[in-house]
Amino acid sequence: MLTKRENLLETIRGGKPDRFVNQFEFLELIYEVPSDAEPIMPGKESLTPWGVTYRWPEGQLGGFPVHDEEHIVLKDITEWEKYVKAPSVIFPEERWEPAIKHANSVDRKDKYVTVFVAPGLFEMTHHLMRMENALTSYYEEPEKMHDLIKYLTEWELEYARTLCDHLHPDAIFHHDDWGSAISTFISPDMFAEFFLDSAKQIYGYYKDHGVKLVIHHSDSYAATLVPYMIEMGIDIWQGTMSTNDIPDLIEKYGGQISFMGGIDSGVVDKEGWTPELIESVVRKECTECGTHYFIPNAIQGLPMSTFPGVYQCIDEKIDLMSVGPGMPPAGGPGMPPAGGPGMPPAGGLK
Amino acid sequence: MSKIQEVKTKVEEGKAKIVPGLVQEALDEGNKAEDILQAMVEAMSIVGNKFSAGEIFVPEMLVAAKAMSKGVEVLKPHLVSGSSSSLGTCIIGTVAGDLHDIGKNLVAMMIESAGFTVIDLGVDVPKEKFIQAVNQNEDVKLVACSGLLTTTMPAMKETVNALKTSGLKGFKVIVGGAPVTPEFASEIGADGYAADAGGAAIKAKELVIA
Repeated sequence: MLTKRENLLETIRGGKPDRFVNQFEFLELIYEVPSDAEPIMPGKESLTPWGVTYRWPEGQLGGFPVHDEEHIVLKDITEWEKYVKAPSVIFPEERWEPAIKHANSVDRKDKYVTVFVAPGLFEMTHHLMRMENALTSYYEEPEKMHDLIKYLTEWELEYARTLCDHLHPDAIFHHDDWGSAISTFISPDMFAEFFLDSAKQIYGYYKDHGVKLVIHHSDSYAATLVPYMIEMGIDIWQGTMSTNDIPDLIEKYGGQISFMGGIDSGVVDKEGWTPELIESVVRKECTECGTHYFIPNAIQGLPMSTFPGVYQCIDEKIDLMSVGPGMPPAGGPGMPPAGGPGMPPAGGLK
Repeated sequence: MSKIQEVKTKVEEGKAKIVPGLVQEALDEGNKAEDILQAMVEAMSIVGNKFSAGEIFVPEMLVAAKAMSKGVEVLKPHLVSGSSSSLGTCIIGTVAGDLHDIGKNLVAMMIESAGFTVIDLGVDVPKEKFIQAVNQNEDVKLVACSGLLTTTMPAMKETVNALKTSGLKGFKVIVGGAPVTPEFASEIGADGYAADAGGAAIKAKELVIA
């Protein structure tokens, strides 16, 4: 049986995976990276090193930036330098020890040592200044927005440097939501104008410093941005919602990029969820998308679910799809089954 | 191209710096303020349709709305009292537990552009505050509830129910947001549903005129 890393590579290279990649299994996320961000807790507010206040209403999915006049960081884009101060990425070496210990404990033949970076450039602009102000400023103050994005990019590159120096990651998992469920927030042309070069710089740095895999999270519609994702060096787009017509994306772009998602969290990760519901969604997505260039996964941006048990149930149902006659042909309908005649018997691979 | 047509085109293009001057020129030429306003309303309707069709995106909607807002500032002293908000008052907010606002803000802009006076309650709005707003504002014809999270859909249900059982009359309730479906809207007793900001303005007018 292939290791998780080997199976992932077979999947994204259009080779011979012997099972579906199961959600985040191939990534070992190193959460112990030092940070001065206050922890985000339900029912509380917290402050990031950039000065953004997040509020997490009790009983809700997570925190969200607060943009009333008291809390908004970037009050005037024309004077952004006055308001936006990049936090230091320098920490005492002893604060790196837990992360280094964790990274060194990982069998890199099995999994990718992965650093998680969030929020990304687009998110940072609107976390700092409120969404409407950011989006309007692309038209009204384009030069200032370019300057701000350049400043944010420089910070990301500094952060990339210290992450790579300390942890030598194999993969980066980078969070930046680029759209809603049905549309990108900005046009592809505007996206390219403001973000493409910076993203190429950032992902290019990681790849020049040992990172083999760039996984970008955007749990949204973003099909129109896929050519730019490829250009900037993204290997896997995580959070691909079903609204993107994933089989069509696989057909068009498979081999250049892979898609990780298909299982919309809003559909399965809810009160009253059932294993039957999850099985039906998993079966549909796996059958339609196949094992090449596709990783079935709940679109949420971390290996977890809001409602207890959902993530684990999805894991189980994906494993079921990899067993015996249930497994759809590799690469799509009509192709021979992955693993050929040596397919494991029904009852499990493990 | 007539001056009014020019105003309409520049609103659609989001030229907030040019529109006020054009509006003044249109007034100086003898055009009625109400006709100029109607042209801007039509421009925003086109913007809404293009947004729904995926031809334009949020920044283009925002700058168009800003252009209209700047134009309306010039028109206001010239408008016959009440004609700028002839459709009534719309109360809008994101329901309790939800801090997302961009969708709600786009809807608010489109509904205002369509001719409503909009009272925006903000985000994380408890049901009591919606009811209080209906009570305290005049000529409330519409209450719009927004929610982006599946976990806040119960709050949306509670809000609609509270509005419908409050004893207050004379308004309709419209709901929307990513997890909201027409079936859910019907199930919770809302009068209308819209999939996006452009659709919300159209539905708002339908509900009020009906």
